[in-house]
Amino acid sequence: MKRTVMGALVAAGMLAASAGNSWSAETVRFWFHFDNADNPMSNLVAKFEKQNPGIKVEAENIPWNSYYDNLYTSIIGGNAPDAAMVKMFAQPRLIEMGALEPIASRVDGWADKADIDSNLFNLTKGNDGKTYYLPLQYVVLYLYYRADMFKELGLKVPATCEDFREAAKKLTRDTNGDGQPDVYGFGFRGGKGGHDHWASLTLSRKGANLAGGMKTDAALAGSQFVVDLFRKDKVFPPSAPNDGFKETIGAFKAGKTAMTIHHIGSSNEMDQTLGDKVSAAPVPECGGGRWTAFGDESTAIFAASKVKDAAWKWISFLSTAGNNAEFNSATGQLPVSTKDANAWTLHKRRFIDATVQSLPFAQLLPNRAETSDFVNTVWPVNMQRALTGEISAADMNAKIAELYK
Amino acid sequence: MKPNPSPPKAGGMALGRTVLPIAMLSPAVLVTVAIVFLPMLQTAWMSLHDYILFRPKSFDFVGLKNFIAALNDEVFWISLRHTLIWIFLTVPSQLLLGLAAALLLNQEFPWRGLARALIIVPWALPSVVISLMWVWIYDSNYGVLNDFLLRLGLIATSIPWLADPATALYAIILTLTWQGFPFFAVMILAGLQSIPRSFYEAAAIDGASGWRQFWHITLPGISGVLVTAVLLRIIWVANSIDVIFVMTGGGPGYATYTLPLYAFIKARTNLDFGYGSALAVLFTLMLMGLVIVYLRRAGKAVQT
Repeated sequence: MKRTVMGALVAAGMLAASAGNSWSAETVRFWFHFDNADNPMSNLVAKFEKQNPGIKVEAENIPWNSYYDNLYTSIIGGNAPDAAMVKMFAQPRLIEMGALEPIASRVDGWADKADIDSNLFNLTKGNDGKTYYLPLQYVVLYLYYRADMFKELGLKVPATCEDFREAAKKLTRDTNGDGQPDVYGFGFRGGKGGHDHWASLTLSRKGANLAGGMKTDAALAGSQFVVDLFRKDKVFPPSAPNDGFKETIGAFKAGKTAMTIHHIGSSNEMDQTLGDKVSAAPVPECGGGRWTAFGDESTAIFAASKVKDAAWKWISFLSTAGNNAEFNSATGQLPVSTKDANAWTLHKRRFIDATVQSLPFAQLLPNRAETSDFVNTVWPVNMQRALTGEISAADMNAKIAELYK
Repeated sequence: MKPNPSPPKAGGMALGRTVLPIAMLSPAVLVTVAIVFLPMLQTAWMSLHDYILFRPKSFDFVGLKNFIAALNDEVFWISLRHTLIWIFLTVPSQLLLGLAAALLLNQEFPWRGLARALIIVPWALPSVVISLMWVWIYDSNYGVLNDFLLRLGLIATSIPWLADPATALYAIILTLTWQGFPFFAVMILAGLQSIPRSFYEAAAIDGASGWRQFWHITLPGISGVLVTAVLLRIIWVANSIDVIFVMTGGGPGYATYTLPLYAFIKARTNLDFGYGSALAVLFTLMLMGLVIVYLRRAGKAVQT
């Protein structure tokens, strides 16, 4: 029996050794997430491997809902990928974990650096002043609205929160005569990821701010405004507290909602379903200001990677003109490569215009470690409790203030 | 002629008898120790520390701080209340539905084999598939449940079953009941088939009614199976978070948080392994208490 155990151990050792060998032969493990089921990665990987013989890329699509849970635990477990798609809100935590590899010298030595707007590098810089992220794509959130319904009711695109509320009330109606509304004014995303909707209606207000400005009257007015839209005016679908990306976009495409907030990434499918009936505009001005989310996406190399040079070749390949366009034509977002952006024909003009008009007031969430918890648990849980009447809007803001204290 | 086996040989056999079972069992025991007991000890150890995964360098001993924090945590009590509702509604509903199904399937009727095979379907489907299916059934815009109730005139407007804190937990309990009752049905059916037919014949001759036959023959006949099945289900249902996680993720708010789900979210999403472990340890102790009480009472009832 002893001999069998020994034999098994030897066999396991050999397996481990051979597995180790195959990693060291320059295999770059890359994680990404796509909403879109069509996956362009295999084409890009094939192209890259042809240009770089000796490097193999294993690109893995990780579902968005548990993307960061998986990423953090894989880093702690010592099984992190070599490089991955990453967003700014996760950066402070990744820096604190010591998980990221600074890439400033690599970026400076990169031939295509000038093709990327320098402001994008500034926006994605770490809170310790170092460069860890290589921009990959971006979007800006704006208001989608049903142009046909607005025309039918003689409404103008809302410029302020007050207009927005009036329009939403009028757009909420019973169109088939069964006594209950079947179109709702606004498709609010109350589940994970919906903080951008709330932020456009709340953080826009002068004096409201996630870090240090949540106990102000302006912040209270904002959260109360959102709660009232649901509980008093009833202009969100009843399922709003649990609705995520699929539900809000699905309801808008199905004609169940007349407005919602999202980015250019969903414009093509909306255009295919609704044609000219859908249009876009910047989010309304609320309480004297405007706020919309800058949706960033970058790539980063992890400090524990043993193939950093190969990983850099791969991520810089993705941000290079041509490849960047191919990548973004699958994600439906906008390329960071200036050359690709100038030749961009993937989206309809009216959606590009809404994006460009929204850029001047597009913002990121605070570059702090607490932001991960804000996005993943504190905002969704407290927004849902406020929407369902379990707590007040003031309680909700107090919970957020407590997180960022 | 050898009157007795030689003493050393007897000693060797006796030794063999004591050592062999241990030697045969030890691989299984070792594996269990490695993959069950060590992580359990590790969890208990972590629960006594401030351990936040994104600060891997700090691992400070804090004694019972996490446990005291849990007892002062509003969400802990909300989750505990939901866990109790979750266990004490789901398991009895599954049991009753399973018992009824088993009694039906034990009757003679055409296509009985097919019916017995089909009843397994909910149990055999992956939880994620079941959860997504029921999310659609409950959907307030397109869901078949609302459509059905509206057409029958039972409700005036569609109800967002999973988005309303008053109904969300019960909607998931119904889903889990549907998923789990075939387990009871199959276990009870096996128990029913082990009761000799002659008992019923004798009882019928003595003039016992159907109900009395059920009460005095069927129920005692399957009591052993019932105790085991209920015990297994209590443990499984108490720990089950997959269906809740997929259907609502715990929301809206904390409306569908149970203790294991809360521990999971604390540890995996917030990366607070110290606090998450403390919640898990507390829950394990409570569940252990429940199981001991159940075994003592149910075990006694079966023996008498």
